[in-house]
Amino acid sequence: MGTQRQEQKNQTKRHLINVSIRVLAKNGLLRTKTSDIAKEGGVSHGTVFAHFPTREILLAEVIEEVGSRIASRLHELAVNGGSVREVLAAHLEGLLEYEAFYTRLVVENNLLPGRSQHTLIMIQSAISIHLNQAVEREVNLGTFRSFPTHLLFNTWIGLLHYYLVNADLFSPNESVLQRHGQTLINHFLSMASP
Amino acid sequence: MKTCIACGMPMETAADYPQGNTEKDYCLYCAKLDGSMQSFEEKLEGLTNFIMKTQGLDQDAAWKTARKMMSTLPAWKGHF
Repeated sequence: MGTQRQEQKNQTKRHLINVSIRVLAKNGLLRTKTSDIAKEGGVSHGTVFAHFPTREILLAEVIEEVGSRIASRLHELAVNGGSVREVLAAHLEGLLEYEAFYTRLVVENNLLPGRSQHTLIMIQSAISIHLNQAVEREVNLGTFRSFPTHLLFNTWIGLLHYYLVNADLFSPNESVLQRHGQTLINHFLSMASP
Repeated sequence: MKTCIACGMPMETAADYPQGNTEKDYCLYCAKLDGSMQSFEEKLEGLTNFIMKTQGLDQDAAWKTARKMMSTLPAWKGHF
Protein backbone atom coordinates (compact mmCIF):
# COMPACT_ATOMS: atom_id res chain seq x y z
CA MET A 1 0.00 0.00 0.00
CA GLY A 2 2.82 2.36 0.98
CA THR A 3 4.67 1.65 -2.26
CA GLN A 4 1.53 2.23 -4.29
CA ARG A 5 0.98 5.57 -2.62
CA GLN A 6 4.60 6.54 -3.23
CA GLU A 7 4.27 5.57 -6.91
CA GLN A 8 1.14 7.68 -7.21
CA LYS A 9 2.95 10.60 -5.58
CA ASN A 10 5.85 10.26 -8.02
CA GLN A 11 3.41 10.10 -10.92
CA THR A 12 1.69 13.31 -9.83
CA LYS A 13 5.07 15.02 -9.50
CA ARG A 14 6.11 13.91 -12.99
CA HIS A 15 2.75 15.14 -14.31
CA LEU A 16 3.23 18.53 -12.60
CA ILE A 17 6.76 18.86 -14.01
CA ASN A 18 5.54 18.14 -17.54
CA VAL A 19 2.62 20.56 -17.19
CA SER A 20 4.98 23.19 -15.76
CA ILE A 21 7.35 22.84 -18.73
CA ARG A 22 4.45 23.63 -21.08
CA VAL A 23 2.99 26.50 -19.06
CA LEU A 24 6.34 28.13 -18.24
CA ALA A 25 7.37 27.96 -21.91
CA LYS A 26 4.10 29.61 -22.92
CA ASN A 27 3.72 32.28 -20.22
CA GLY A 28 7.32 32.92 -19.15
CA LEU A 29 9.44 31.53 -16.31
CA LEU A 30 9.02 34.46 -13.94
CA ARG A 31 5.50 35.47 -14.86
CA THR A 32 3.79 32.10 -14.45
CA LYS A 33 1.81 31.63 -11.23
CA THR A 34 1.54 28.32 -9.41
CA SER A 35 -2.24 28.66 -9.75
CA ASP A 36 -1.82 28.62 -13.58
CA ILE A 37 0.04 25.33 -13.26
CA ALA A 38 -2.59 23.83 -10.95
CA LYS A 39 -5.34 24.86 -13.35
CA GLU A 40 -3.60 23.52 -16.44
CA GLY A 41 -2.68 20.28 -14.64
CA GLY A 42 -6.21 19.72 -13.36
CA VAL A 43 -5.11 19.59 -9.70
CA SER A 44 -5.78 21.76 -6.67
CA HIS A 45 -3.44 24.59 -5.75
CA GLY A 46 -2.64 22.68 -2.54
CA THR A 47 -1.43 19.66 -4.55
CA VAL A 48 1.17 21.82 -6.29
CA PHE A 49 2.48 23.00 -2.91
CA ALA A 50 2.48 19.46 -1.53
CA HIS A 51 5.12 18.62 -4.16
CA PHE A 52 6.89 21.96 -4.38
CA PRO A 53 6.87 23.95 -1.11
CA THR A 54 7.53 27.27 -2.84
CA ARG A 55 7.24 28.72 -6.33
CA GLU A 56 11.01 29.19 -6.41
CA ILE A 57 11.61 25.50 -5.69
CA LEU A 58 9.19 24.51 -8.44
CA LEU A 59 10.91 26.81 -10.91
CA ALA A 60 14.37 25.54 -9.95
CA GLU A 61 13.37 21.87 -10.19
CA VAL A 62 11.66 22.30 -13.55
CA ILE A 63 14.59 24.26 -15.00
CA GLU A 64 17.03 21.62 -13.77
CA GLU A 65 14.89 18.85 -15.23
CA VAL A 66 14.66 20.49 -18.66
CA GLY A 67 18.38 21.36 -18.50
CA SER A 68 19.37 17.77 -17.85
CA ARG A 69 16.98 16.44 -20.52
CA ILE A 70 18.45 18.83 -23.10
CA ALA A 71 22.04 18.10 -22.02
CA SER A 72 21.48 14.32 -22.26
CA ARG A 73 19.81 14.65 -25.64
CA LEU A 74 22.61 16.87 -26.97
CA HIS A 75 25.23 14.44 -25.76
CA GLU A 76 23.34 11.49 -27.25
CA LEU A 77 23.00 13.21 -30.65
CA ALA A 78 26.40 14.88 -30.80
CA VAL A 79 28.56 12.04 -29.51
CA ASN A 80 28.70 10.47 -32.97
CA GLY A 81 29.06 13.75 -34.82
CA GLY A 82 32.31 13.59 -36.70
CA SER A 83 32.14 16.93 -38.47
CA VAL A 84 31.38 20.42 -37.20
CA ARG A 85 28.28 20.42 -39.43
CA GLU A 86 27.01 17.24 -37.78
CA VAL A 87 27.56 18.62 -34.26
CA LEU A 88 25.74 21.89 -35.11
CA ALA A 89 22.86 19.94 -36.63
CA ALA A 90 22.74 17.76 -33.48
CA HIS A 91 22.69 20.93 -31.38
CA LEU A 92 19.64 22.31 -33.20
CA GLU A 93 17.87 18.96 -33.18
CA GLY A 94 18.51 18.57 -29.46
CA LEU A 95 17.01 22.00 -28.73
CA LEU A 96 14.01 21.53 -31.01
CA GLU A 97 11.86 19.58 -28.56
CA TYR A 98 12.29 22.27 -25.88
CA GLU A 99 12.67 25.27 -28.18
CA ALA A 100 10.08 27.47 -26.45
CA PHE A 101 11.29 26.65 -22.94
CA TYR A 102 14.96 27.06 -23.88
CA THR A 103 14.20 30.46 -25.42
CA ARG A 104 12.52 31.57 -22.18
CA LEU A 105 15.57 30.41 -20.27
CA VAL A 106 17.88 32.45 -22.53
CA VAL A 107 15.72 35.58 -22.23
CA GLU A 108 15.09 35.39 -18.48
CA ASN A 109 18.29 33.75 -17.24
CA ASN A 110 19.88 36.73 -15.51
CA LEU A 111 16.62 37.53 -13.72
CA LEU A 112 16.23 34.03 -12.28
CA PRO A 113 16.99 33.12 -8.66
CA GLY A 114 20.68 32.22 -8.17
CA ARG A 115 19.98 28.50 -7.86
CA SER A 116 18.71 28.30 -11.45
CA GLN A 117 21.21 30.44 -13.32
CA HIS A 118 23.87 27.78 -13.84
CA THR A 119 21.57 25.53 -15.88
CA LEU A 120 22.09 27.47 -19.10
CA ILE A 121 25.88 27.23 -18.72
CA MET A 122 25.50 23.50 -18.05
CA ILE A 123 23.57 23.09 -21.31
CA GLN A 124 26.24 25.07 -23.18
CA SER A 125 28.97 22.93 -21.64
CA ALA A 126 27.26 19.78 -22.93
CA ILE A 127 27.40 21.00 -26.51
CA SER A 128 30.67 22.95 -26.39
CA ILE A 129 32.68 19.87 -25.53
CA HIS A 130 31.53 18.13 -28.73
CA LEU A 131 31.84 21.24 -30.87
CA ASN A 132 35.42 21.82 -29.72
CA GLN A 133 36.41 18.25 -30.45
CA ALA A 134 34.93 18.45 -33.96
CA VAL A 135 36.55 21.84 -34.59
CA GLU A 136 39.96 20.55 -33.45
CA ARG A 137 39.68 17.59 -35.82
CA GLU A 138 38.72 19.84 -38.74
CA VAL A 139 41.38 22.45 -37.99
CA ASN A 140 43.96 19.63 -38.16
CA LEU A 141 42.46 18.42 -41.43
CA GLY A 142 42.63 21.97 -42.79
CA THR A 143 38.87 22.23 -43.39
CA PHE A 144 38.19 24.81 -40.65
CA ARG A 145 39.94 28.01 -39.58
CA SER A 146 41.42 28.29 -36.11
CA PHE A 147 39.79 30.70 -33.63
CA PRO A 148 40.01 31.18 -29.86
CA THR A 149 37.76 28.43 -28.44
CA HIS A 150 35.34 30.65 -26.54
CA LEU A 151 34.97 33.22 -29.34
CA LEU A 152 34.10 30.56 -31.87
CA PHE A 153 31.54 29.03 -29.52
CA ASN A 154 30.05 32.39 -28.57
CA THR A 155 29.81 33.41 -32.22
CA TRP A 156 27.64 30.38 -32.89
CA ILE A 157 25.60 30.80 -29.69
CA GLY A 158 25.17 34.54 -30.33
CA LEU A 159 23.78 33.92 -33.78
CA LEU A 160 21.51 31.12 -32.61
CA HIS A 161 20.19 33.01 -29.58
CA TYR A 162 19.52 36.16 -31.60
CA TYR A 163 17.19 34.20 -33.86
CA LEU A 164 15.57 32.39 -30.92
CA VAL A 165 14.82 35.46 -28.79
CA ASN A 166 13.48 37.32 -31.82
CA ALA A 167 11.49 34.38 -33.16
CA ASP A 168 8.43 36.63 -33.38
CA LEU A 169 10.27 38.64 -36.04
CA PHE A 170 12.08 35.86 -37.89
CA SER A 171 9.49 33.12 -37.78
CA PRO A 172 6.24 34.22 -36.15
CA ASN A 173 4.19 31.13 -36.93
CA GLU A 174 6.58 28.21 -36.75
CA SER A 175 9.75 26.97 -35.10
CA VAL A 176 12.60 29.37 -35.84
CA LEU A 177 15.04 26.46 -35.63
CA GLN A 178 13.16 24.57 -38.31
CA ARG A 179 12.76 27.58 -40.55
CA HIS A 180 16.24 29.11 -40.27
CA GLY A 181 18.44 26.47 -38.61
CA GLN A 182 19.99 25.15 -41.80
CA THR A 183 20.74 28.67 -43.07
CA LEU A 184 22.49 29.53 -39.79
CA ILE A 185 24.62 26.39 -39.96
CA ASN A 186 25.58 27.08 -43.59
CA HIS A 187 26.47 30.69 -42.81
CA PHE A 188 28.55 29.82 -39.74
CA LEU A 189 30.47 27.16 -41.64
CA SER A 190 31.10 29.42 -44.62
CA MET A 191 32.62 32.08 -42.33
CA ALA A 192 34.98 29.54 -40.78
CA SER A 193 36.02 27.72 -43.92
CA PRO A 194 39.64 28.44 -44.93
CA MET B 1 22.43 4.89 -19.02
CA LYS B 2 24.46 6.27 -16.10
CA THR B 3 25.19 9.94 -15.45
CA CYS B 4 28.54 10.96 -13.98
CA ILE B 5 28.11 11.63 -10.24
CA ALA B 6 30.82 14.30 -10.32
CA CYS B 7 29.94 16.42 -13.38
CA GLY B 8 26.55 15.19 -14.61
CA MET B 9 27.75 14.07 -18.05
CA PRO B 10 25.74 11.20 -19.51
CA MET B 11 27.91 8.12 -19.97
CA GLU B 12 26.82 6.04 -22.92
CA THR B 13 29.78 4.02 -24.09
CA ALA B 14 32.88 2.54 -22.45
CA ALA B 15 34.84 5.46 -23.97
CA ASP B 16 33.04 7.82 -21.57
CA TYR B 17 34.43 5.94 -18.52
CA PRO B 18 37.89 6.21 -16.91
CA GLN B 19 40.11 3.57 -18.51
CA GLY B 20 36.97 2.16 -20.15
CA ASN B 21 35.80 0.81 -16.78
CA THR B 22 31.97 0.89 -16.87
CA GLU B 23 31.79 -0.17 -13.21
CA LYS B 24 32.73 3.40 -12.23
CA ASP B 25 30.10 6.04 -11.43
CA TYR B 26 32.19 8.94 -12.75
CA CYS B 27 33.38 9.84 -16.26
CA LEU B 28 36.84 10.01 -17.76
CA TYR B 29 36.93 13.81 -17.37
CA CYS B 30 36.45 13.47 -13.60
CA ALA B 31 39.17 10.86 -13.14
CA LYS B 32 42.85 11.33 -12.31
CA LEU B 33 45.50 9.59 -14.42
CA ASP B 34 45.41 6.54 -12.12
CA GLY B 35 41.65 6.18 -12.67
CA SER B 36 40.53 7.37 -9.20
CA MET B 37 38.05 10.25 -8.89
CA GLN B 38 39.35 13.82 -8.66
CA SER B 39 39.02 15.67 -5.36
CA PHE B 40 36.47 18.47 -4.81
CA GLU B 41 39.18 21.11 -5.21
CA GLU B 42 40.58 19.52 -8.37
CA LYS B 43 37.15 19.27 -9.95
CA LEU B 44 36.21 22.84 -9.02
CA GLU B 45 39.40 24.14 -10.57
CA GLY B 46 39.03 21.95 -13.67
CA LEU B 47 35.40 22.92 -14.22
CA THR B 48 36.15 26.62 -13.68
CA ASN B 49 38.95 26.48 -16.28
CA PHE B 50 36.76 24.52 -18.69
CA ILE B 51 33.95 27.09 -18.54
CA MET B 52 36.42 29.97 -18.97
CA LYS B 53 38.13 28.33 -21.92
CA THR B 54 35.03 27.13 -23.77
CA GLN B 55 32.54 29.91 -22.96
CA GLY B 56 34.77 32.85 -22.08
CA LEU B 57 33.30 33.58 -18.63
CA ASP B 58 35.01 35.91 -16.17
CA GLN B 59 37.09 33.91 -13.64
CA ASP B 60 34.99 34.71 -10.59
CA ALA B 61 31.71 34.13 -12.47
CA ALA B 62 33.06 30.82 -13.81
CA TRP B 63 34.09 29.72 -10.30
CA LYS B 64 30.67 30.57 -8.86
CA THR B 65 28.90 28.80 -11.74
CA ALA B 66 31.10 25.72 -11.34
CA ARG B 67 30.26 25.59 -7.61
CA LYS B 68 26.53 25.84 -8.34
CA MET B 69 26.77 23.04 -10.89
CA MET B 70 28.68 20.88 -8.42
CA SER B 71 26.19 21.57 -5.62
CA THR B 72 23.51 19.66 -7.54
CA LEU B 73 25.66 16.56 -8.08
CA PRO B 74 25.69 13.52 -5.78
CA ALA B 75 29.50 13.24 -5.53
CA TRP B 76 29.81 16.61 -3.76
CA LYS B 77 26.79 16.59 -1.43
CA GLY B 78 28.99 16.72 1.66
CA HIS B 79 30.68 19.92 0.50
CA PHE B 80 27.63 22.20 0.54
